[in-house]
Amino acid sequence: MMFAIIDNAFLSIVAAAIPASAVIVLAATGAMLNERVGVLNLGQEGLIGVGAVFAVIASLQWNVSSPWLAMLIGMFAAAVIGSIFAFATVVIRANQVLVGLALALGGVGLSNQLGNGRTGSPIPSVFKKIDPGSAFTKNQFLESFFHQDPIVYIAYLILPAIIWFVLYRTRHGLLVRAVGESPGAADAVGSNVLGIRFAYTVLGTAISGAAGAYMVLTITPTWSADIARGRGWVALAVVIFAAWKPFRVVAGALLFGAMISLDTTTQARGWKLPFLDAINLSFLLSMLPYVVTLVAILAPAGAAKLGRKTRASDAPAALATPYFREER
Amino acid sequence: MSIPFRFARRLEVNTKRSTSYRISGAIAGLFLSGLLLLITSRNPIRLLGQSLDAIFGSQRGIEGVMVQSIPILMCAIGVALSLRMKVWNIGSDGQFLMGAFAAVGVGIKVDAPHWLLIILMALAASIAGAAWILVPALARAYWGVNEIITTLLLNFVALQLVLWSALGFWRDKKSQVTQSTESVDAVLPRFPGLNSVSIAFIAPLLLAVVLWFVFRSTRVGYEIDMIGGNANAASFAGINVPRRIVTVMLLTGAIAGFGGMLQLTGAPGAQALSGGFSNRFGLSGFIVAALAGASFAGVLVAGLFISAMFYAGIALQTKGLSVYIIFGVYGVVLVGIAVGETMARFRLARVEQPAVTAPAAEVSA
Repeated sequence: MMFAIIDNAFLSIVAAAIPASAVIVLAATGAMLNERVGVLNLGQEGLIGVGAVFAVIASLQWNVSSPWLAMLIGMFAAAVIGSIFAFATVVIRANQVLVGLALALGGVGLSNQLGNGRTGSPIPSVFKKIDPGSAFTKNQFLESFFHQDPIVYIAYLILPAIIWFVLYRTRHGLLVRAVGESPGAADAVGSNVLGIRFAYTVLGTAISGAAGAYMVLTITPTWSADIARGRGWVALAVVIFAAWKPFRVVAGALLFGAMISLDTTTQARGWKLPFLDAINLSFLLSMLPYVVTLVAILAPAGAAKLGRKTRASDAPAALATPYFREER
Repeated sequence: MSIPFRFARRLEVNTKRSTSYRISGAIAGLFLSGLLLLITSRNPIRLLGQSLDAIFGSQRGIEGVMVQSIPILMCAIGVALSLRMKVWNIGSDGQFLMGAFAAVGVGIKVDAPHWLLIILMALAASIAGAAWILVPALARAYWGVNEIITTLLLNFVALQLVLWSALGFWRDKKSQVTQSTESVDAVLPRFPGLNSVSIAFIAPLLLAVVLWFVFRSTRVGYEIDMIGGNANAASFAGINVPRRIVTVMLLTGAIAGFGGMLQLTGAPGAQALSGGFSNRFGLSGFIVAALAGASFAGVLVAGLFISAMFYAGIALQTKGLSVYIIFGVYGVVLVGIAVGETMARFRLARVEQPAVTAPAAEVSA
């Protein structure tokens, strides 16, 4: 009996955390693509906002009835903003930290302004769950994992698989990685460093925009101010935690997404500790994702310092460094 | 086809050029924002006129800007100090909140005469602000962990803690609907002759002067600048770089934390802590520091400018401007600053195109 309750609670957390974490999975995947070519994009929060607000405008104002099209519009808007970011950081070679923060600030400001009159209006075109077949729905355990909408499948399986294959199994992927690790070497073998950087920066921002679009098209599903609520920053930390590897990004994002939904679950279920009631425990748990993220960033560096591992970070070697051919 | 121009690095970049390029970038950003406002059918010229009128048209406007500038300047000075060492403290919002958190704790729990309470609150706030950056500082100095994400993550922890205190353990229970802590009674006196500006306004001015002097004429200031210039060289010159990094980062945290206490005890209507206590002052402060290029005199000028923009955004809420738009404009301006900063370091040089007609001439000959 007791066991069944825990089991149910666990499954309901899983069933809710998987789609909720898909937002972080997508944003982190976008950020990872940027960083893989040496571009640090701190603007995830803004990209999520822009992707979200344009998906909202598409479905509420332009009467786009397909969630796919609404998401594409959100992605396109994020990519337009992203190409401004890419132009400033890759072509002009401006400081990536400054431009990234500008994107975070400006993107949040822009999306809040555009979404201002639309707060609370329900989005009609949301992604529907796809039926995984009776083999899955019969078993409660399998159902909570696999009875999800198509974006969940794309974010967790298809997209990382494609990225993994391209990065590690193709010649093009080798060049892409080289652009992030040693742009001078990539340039020397004749690859277009700035072109690859630009393309992958814009591609990454479009995927981050998809995160925002998915948020409003399925999770909330309505617009509210500051829609990203820190998920963009968590996504950036997930990339570090995941050591810039596609499938580890998925695992890391799921972990942090589960922690983000933990505090609401606690409150809803009235869980408590001997010295903390449910409300206070949920406040305490709301800090957990950020604290754990911090520890996850510090731990590998500390281990490297204390142990024998020589490289403190798996970051692409040219991360946040603009490329100048003259300074090779 | 290739672009006939390329970037060439300038042999030397003087401060004057760098400053003028950054300012030009910021102005270009403002101009661009004006165009964007025009597209969304707002008249930027009229909004500018209304903003100037809201700011300079009355004593209330000028005082409003001064009130806004205190927290923004405190955060900006902290960020500028760390930028001298090429350290990015993006967590000043969190340090600011933790300063206010500690100050409110002292203010509502300690029974003491008001003058003593003010001193205790200031101490507690500075310590809390410094404590909030301790882990990122140690990790940066001794483990080489980049401070950008670590300082930033703690902003969210601080915000959650403040929300917890406001809705939970320090909540003002006088009414059912309040979403803030109890108010502190010990407040700073107003400037003589002014209605809303407290004497806290002196603090950022004094701090800027002191830090300007430290970097102009003391050994410590010189060492910090040297670390900012080239940390390896500084290390070879016998400077204990990690220790300096920790000290400076703790100091930036303490300044932002102290700013939180000044806001709590000085700003009108801010005597209790709530989720909206910091209106992203840390981010505004960051832009100020970026615009000023870590010059402390520049921080004061840029700080008043950004505060004026922020005040206009609040004052013209009903006339088509909003804080959201101001943050959007901030973003565009910040891109302008970053681009300007890069442009100052490089110049456009013509690429000599090889004469493509020459071989053809040879063949015909």
